[in-house]
Amino acid sequence: MTNRIERELPLPGSLAEVWQALTDPDWLAQWLADEVAMELRPGGEARFRIGAEVRTGWVEEVSPPPRDGREGRGGRLAFWWALDDEPASRVELALTPIEPGSTLLRVVESRPLEVLDLVGIPLPGPGGSTHGPALAAVA
Amino acid sequence: MPGDQAGPVFSALADPTRRQLLTAIAAQPATATELATGLPISRQAVVKHLGALFDAGLLERERSGRDVRYRVTPAPLSDAVSWMAQVGGQWDARLAALARTLNR
Repeated sequence: MTNRIERELPLPGSLAEVWQALTDPDWLAQWLADEVAMELRPGGEARFRIGAEVRTGWVEEVSPPPRDGREGRGGRLAFWWALDDEPASRVELALTPIEPGSTLLRVVESRPLEVLDLVGIPLPGPGGSTHGPALAAVA
Repeated sequence: MPGDQAGPVFSALADPTRRQLLTAIAAQPATATELATGLPISRQAVVKHLGALFDAGLLERERSGRDVRYRVTPAPLSDAVSWMAQVGGQWDARLAALARTLNR
């Protein structure tokens, strides 16, 4: 069984505004973690401090919404994070425009690599930017 | 986890308030009164949610003076279900904070 949770929430704000809330460190510190440092490129390193706990990980995908606001096109950010020696989980944040000033956010957090654990392949440790993109490609 | 236990567990966890309560109780056993002070719902509503979690076998009850203290039952919670409860509860809290931030 793959561990997976999914949430959908309409948010007030244009696609560009909500995208900023998902990618700007100052915005991210308002809701995702107390402190967020993310290199916004595939394979970039990521660090999240939540209280006394620090998660490390890497960025898998950064697809900003189109600037010209083409009909129906959204944005997507995907990263992996892990706490200490726990298995890494993948977080995907996808945006879809609903109407002007309203944007749908879909969140999926999953542990797709646990399937590797089941067949006896060790799971990656956190912060493995050397392993990150390669493993992201496997998943 | 035995298959016949999964149904009630998942339906009990389908409600975000119940996931939030379970996450809080997992962090620290608590009474309905203690839980209600941290939530925007009445003590009666908390008691009702706790009843659903108890019926699903997710919580244990223990008398604490005139009150009842709840703690998480480890037995029917497989790793997957407790992961889903914990991670789902965390996202509910983060998304509520994001919506508040965007509303400012």
